[in-house]
Amino acid sequence: MNKWLIPAFAALTVLGGCSSVPRGSIPVVDSGTAVSNNERISSTGGFRKTVTRGPVPSQTQAVPQDSGVVVMVPGGGAAVSTPISTEPFTPGPITPGPANNAPIQPGPVDSGAYNQGAYSPPVNQGAYNMPSPVAPSGIPSNNNSGGLSADEQLDGPVLALLTTAQQQQSSGDLNGASSSLERAQRVAPREPQVLYRLAQVRMAQGDAPQAEQLARRGLSFANGRPDLQANLWGIIAQARSKQGDAAGAAQAQQKAKAGY
Amino acid sequence: MTRTRSPRSRAKSKPPAGRLRPWLGWAIKLSLVGLVVVAGFAVYLDAIVQEKFSGKRWTIPAKVYARPLELFAGQKLSKEDFLTELDALGYRREPVANGPGAAAVNGNTVDLNTRGFQFYEGMESAQPVRVRFSGDYVAELSSLNGAKLSVVRLEPLLIGGLYPKNLEDRILIKIDQVPPYLLDTLVTVEDRDFYHHFGVSPKSIARAIWVNTSAGQMRQGGSTLTQQLVKNFFLTNERSLSRKLTEAMMAMLLELHYDKKEILEAYLNEVFIGQDGQRAVHGFGLASQFFFSQPLAELKLHQVALLVGMVKGPSYYNPRRYPDRALERRNLVLDLLEQQGVATAEQVAAAKKMPLGVTARGSLADSSFPGFLDLVKRQLREDYRDEDLTEEGLRIFTSFDPILQMKAEASVNDTFKRLAGRKGSDDIEAAMVVTNPETGEIQAMIGSRQSSFAGFNRALDAVRPVGSLIKPAVYLTALEKPSQYTLTSWLSDEAFSVKGADGQVWTPKNFERRSHGTIFLYQALAHSYNLATARLGLEVGVPNVLKTLGRLGVTREFPAFPSMLLGAASMTPMDIATMYQTLANGGFNTPMRGIRSVLTAEGQPLKRYPFQIQQRFDPGSIYLIQAAMQRVMREGTGAGVYNVLPKTLTLAGKTGTSNDSRDSWFAGFGQDLLAVVWLGRDDNGKTPFTGASGALQVWTSFMRKADPLPLDMPQPDNVVQAWVDPHTGQGSDANCPGAVQMPYIRGSEPVPGASCGGAAPAPATEVMDWVKGWLN
Repeated sequence: MNKWLIPAFAALTVLGGCSSVPRGSIPVVDSGTAVSNNERISSTGGFRKTVTRGPVPSQTQAVPQDSGVVVMVPGGGAAVSTPISTEPFTPGPITPGPANNAPIQPGPVDSGAYNQGAYSPPVNQGAYNMPSPVAPSGIPSNNNSGGLSADEQLDGPVLALLTTAQQQQSSGDLNGASSSLERAQRVAPREPQVLYRLAQVRMAQGDAPQAEQLARRGLSFANGRPDLQANLWGIIAQARSKQGDAAGAAQAQQKAKAGY
Repeated sequence: MTRTRSPRSRAKSKPPAGRLRPWLGWAIKLSLVGLVVVAGFAVYLDAIVQEKFSGKRWTIPAKVYARPLELFAGQKLSKEDFLTELDALGYRREPVANGPGAAAVNGNTVDLNTRGFQFYEGMESAQPVRVRFSGDYVAELSSLNGAKLSVVRLEPLLIGGLYPKNLEDRILIKIDQVPPYLLDTLVTVEDRDFYHHFGVSPKSIARAIWVNTSAGQMRQGGSTLTQQLVKNFFLTNERSLSRKLTEAMMAMLLELHYDKKEILEAYLNEVFIGQDGQRAVHGFGLASQFFFSQPLAELKLHQVALLVGMVKGPSYYNPRRYPDRALERRNLVLDLLEQQGVATAEQVAAAKKMPLGVTARGSLADSSFPGFLDLVKRQLREDYRDEDLTEEGLRIFTSFDPILQMKAEASVNDTFKRLAGRKGSDDIEAAMVVTNPETGEIQAMIGSRQSSFAGFNRALDAVRPVGSLIKPAVYLTALEKPSQYTLTSWLSDEAFSVKGADGQVWTPKNFERRSHGTIFLYQALAHSYNLATARLGLEVGVPNVLKTLGRLGVTREFPAFPSMLLGAASMTPMDIATMYQTLANGGFNTPMRGIRSVLTAEGQPLKRYPFQIQQRFDPGSIYLIQAAMQRVMREGTGAGVYNVLPKTLTLAGKTGTSNDSRDSWFAGFGQDLLAVVWLGRDDNGKTPFTGASGALQVWTSFMRKADPLPLDMPQPDNVVQAWVDPHTGQGSDANCPGAVQMPYIRGSEPVPGASCGGAAPAPATEVMDWVKGWLN
């Protein structure tokens, strides 16, 4: 019996020693290979491209860019439109006043809600109600010109997220900053400061067209906040000159200076 | 034997040796041959063991997560919705929240301990949080010591996965992440000598034989955990002797190469514990989620005992199908633990009192939200290969909102129940897309009336005639020319015919088959008059309307036929959502996306899908078309909604009914919510529903549950509000009785009227005229 067992064990030991694969752990960590963004970019372009692409070759406006999307500039380059027509309105071709026409029903927010020509800023900022102005909170001043002025008060979640985004941007993590800003945008979709910062990040990422578009969106919410408007026009000017649109950039720069 | 042995005795002892030696010789030779064979076999097995274990790559399917619920003071979130989310995430309700994964509700306050999570931007740490609600808002968010918190993110709900063909799934666990008792219970129940044997345990085998023969039936198995682990790696389940021997050898080889901790860890992740439809549940990590909706680390003694007990027979002891058996088995395990000193008598007694605690339904089914998952798959396939999706354990973070999804599904079900009496309503199918127009994110999707049914995804693939849904594109085209058209321009809703280039004559008709004379432009949209719309569309030009449609974000190509103006074009609900998104978002188009970011299995950021927008329209024109679409809801074809919804909730939308009511559509939005609903038959037959009587009902029911913010687009600089006479549309004055305000592009508004149409002239105007005349 012994004589059998010894050779058997000897064989097993030899096998153990002969094993070429080094004694390793049974990996519980699975083996996802590191994949870089570049390998995963779809070739069809479009909005799914990673944002870290180079500056768009200099082109004039309204020329299709490599993303396949036409950047249209309605109304001659103004994000907030200038009046379309300065001529006095003449009545349409159809004679007015049919007898049986249903009269215009007054709207629910009628008479007095809007003064002619004046503008009332939006009351609701999405799901987040803008708090009444308090003492200046530590709005982080960014690298670019134009720290936000004292009337741009932020509080709570938006401030926290903007602060995080600022830290991420300072440490070079533009994707992270973008992510944090988009989070802030989900919290307060109509807060123009968020769109302003997002436009800045896009400029830093080299995406001038998007920077301009985001700034334009910010402008549509920035009525009554002249400093912020000036900053937004400033970004638009930067973005346009990056895209090779010198004339448009000059226009935007003028609006920025005009103390809108 | 002594030396004084006689030669004879030596000679006597020789014959036995001599008789034995040939046998011995043969035996040695045979055993050598056998040894070589066995050795060869062992080498072969060793190779298999090495290959399967070191460099073992478990194929992990991609995990798809919903949006994480963010909490902050001032957020629109009701306590009920919050608790729904907590329940879905498997938070335990306890009187006092201690330990991660626990929540305590006291009136309007909810205390909870969040679980941490690794997001794209970084780690969100687990923390204790107090949330106080006031009405439908979060009034206060603080940590338990009262310090205010600005924003807190819960972990995202796992809504599904992308599985390879073999449908394997697991949640990998490390051995230092397991809950207390798990390892001891496992060893005690399945392999008491685990830490001492070398792969096979003769002692266990002997014990098993003893127990089984004395009991007269199979009570115990003698396999070690190592042997079970090896068994699990084989595909077939034959139980022949040769298979058992092979497994035994492999078990020994395994023990040779790896230490007990590693083998145990592999076992924890490999053991088969349950079946979820077609999908096998492997590993305790996944089993914990599947049976208790909780992460493994949070399980308590009674839950651990149940899972370990199930290892012996996952189907036989399935707690959902055979709860009594499962309970018995669990309590048996608990007794064993007490017996072996793993747990104290008090702990075991307390554990035995607990119910099984298994959730009613496994929450892992990737068919829970097939509509949205289908969207995710399609969007991912553009960037990733199938193998990456199904094997590399990618973590995919989406914009899916499970609360909105449940509300959408409920509104579909409720409405169909309500409409069940109508003839033909049984064969009607439905589709729904819900988005946030401000961010362009898709939040909910229903691909079929039975929303959990993973079949034809109508939200993405049902290409159906859109009917009147196209009309905003016609009116928007007109309103972009304020020198020609305003909201109060007169349109003629009279019959006409037009001959096309091919000689065909097109004679549009109104839905009610009658004309409405001359009407305001906005009224034609509000009431969806075909004749007026067709005339207007022909005036501005069908190709221009199609261009507007393209600018709105619809990428399909359509021929420039006049019938396009009344919606002969066919689109999917997703196309419509894209189109109305641009209308809702101030003229800014955002490509719809469902995915926010992708991480690797280790939590490293891999890819982002950033927020992008593009201005497509002048905000003034959009402001006007929104005003007209609001009138659809106040006085037009959508007017029923304000019987159900509060009148202060400003909404805009459009009904759509295709020919013969084959398609019933509604698309509409508030400030932060947009929904498109389609009802129809798959065989394109007639339905008993118009857009208003069918799809709008579902939409209204949804909006009632979802409670969006009222539409509130800032008035652009180039828009002015002018007082007009409600009958003539001519300029009027604030002081004139009955005068109403309408928005106009600056410069296109009617000149303020000098008189109030018969009433005494306003003195102020007269004075101004007199002064002006004096100054001239």
